[in-house]
Amino acid sequence: MLQIGTFPARVADKKLSMVSCVLACLLLLYVLAYLLPHLPDPIGSRSHLFIAGTKVTVLLALSAGLFGLIIGTGVGLAKLSTNKLLCNAASFFIWILRGTPLLTQILFVYYVLPIWFPVLKLNDFNSALIALSLNVAAYNAEVIRAGILAIPKGQYEAGITLGLSHYKIMRYIIFPQAFKISIPSLINNFIALIKDSSLASCIGLLELSLAGTRIASETFNPLPPLITVSFIYLSLTSLISIVMYYFEKSGAVNDPA
Amino acid sequence: MIQLKAVNKYFGKFQALKDINLAIAAKEIIVICGPSGSGKSTLIRCINGLERQYSGTIKTQAKIGMCFQQFNLFPHLTVLQNCTLSLITMHKLSKLRSEELARKYLARVKILDQQYKYPAQLSGGQQQRLAIARSLTIDPQIMLFDEPTSALDPEMIREVLEIIVDLANEGMTIVCVTHEMRFARSIADRILFMDQGEIIEQASPEQFFANPTTNRAKLFLSNIMVADNNRFI
Repeated sequence: MLQIGTFPARVADKKLSMVSCVLACLLLLYVLAYLLPHLPDPIGSRSHLFIAGTKVTVLLALSAGLFGLIIGTGVGLAKLSTNKLLCNAASFFIWILRGTPLLTQILFVYYVLPIWFPVLKLNDFNSALIALSLNVAAYNAEVIRAGILAIPKGQYEAGITLGLSHYKIMRYIIFPQAFKISIPSLINNFIALIKDSSLASCIGLLELSLAGTRIASETFNPLPPLITVSFIYLSLTSLISIVMYYFEKSGAVNDPA
Repeated sequence: MIQLKAVNKYFGKFQALKDINLAIAAKEIIVICGPSGSGKSTLIRCINGLERQYSGTIKTQAKIGMCFQQFNLFPHLTVLQNCTLSLITMHKLSKLRSEELARKYLARVKILDQQYKYPAQLSGGQQQRLAIARSLTIDPQIMLFDEPTSALDPEMIREVLEIIVDLANEGMTIVCVTHEMRFARSIADRILFMDQGEIIEQASPEQFFANPTTNRAKLFLSNIMVADNNRFI
């Protein structure tokens, strides 16, 4: 018999399949961690390096992603501000951080900031964290700004006619909608961030890519570590993509017609 | 209740309102009609402050609610939340108390059974009725309607107009821009006819529809009545 799913059932299906996909990816990472030591020689004997590198990469990407989101939101709002000073400061921030290579930004934070401000005692992880956070913040700021500008003017006007203050209109009407339409682009930036975190290897932070490079030079055989490293990166980014895919599907329920 | 004196409004070089003088008394029902681009919407948007930077004076001594042509409902909030937003955030009522109040207004526009849906799940008529309920939550003494039925399917128009008639019967002051001439005739105390930013005719509906004085109004009525003939509130 032909079965046609009802609307709520389909939503439930999506949530279920999202959960199963996430579990599958986490399982994959777990299996990976379990399998790595059992792989043939150049990989198996050095699996602890890959695992340690993955941990650093994940920690770095997650924390830079979080700070980048918070700072980016602030900068995006500042750029929309009617306050000229705030707006120009935000534009300047975005101009510099989007216009210079991330590699030089990481080097700058690691080598130059401690000279200018000797109070700052930055280790390699924190330097990379600062540079990555600010860099992704600049990109996120533009995403958030575009999201806010995409909300029809009528939404703001409806808020005014209900007697809401500017802050309340932004907080309860504009921002929730803007954030939702920004999510795909924010996730896009986050996936780029996961891969960009490999640039932290230039200041000697032993993250995933540097782990691979080290093993490649130790063994004079670049292929196995490079494949392993790429595969781990791919698992991480796939995890994000899949979560995002199902999140968007289920979130579409209350979209305006 | 509302006094406009010598109001002029420009958009760049385009003059949207020319020397508008208007007094609106309490409980009065005013219908504004006229061709598109004649300044009808601009006029009511000036009254509640959505348009600023006009010259002249606008004095209001009332809380003003407004409904838009495109509803402007909050798509990310449920029907009930659309109505409780201002009660909770600005009037500082408890969630329970504001929901209680909101349900009262939703019942008044006959969509209480839709309270847990999102606006996109309602019909056009229900959406506009929700917009009316939402603006009633601020307890306005005067309601502005900017072409409340222009974005609706013909079948939905009546249910919205009925709500407006109910409001009028309960003593609400109403200023309504509309092209629904039969509705205008049945509800209005006074009809304002606008053209090119000016109020060129002000009359009771009987007089306006029977004997429009300006040629522009005569032309407008003959054009619009043909389209309006098969509608009725």
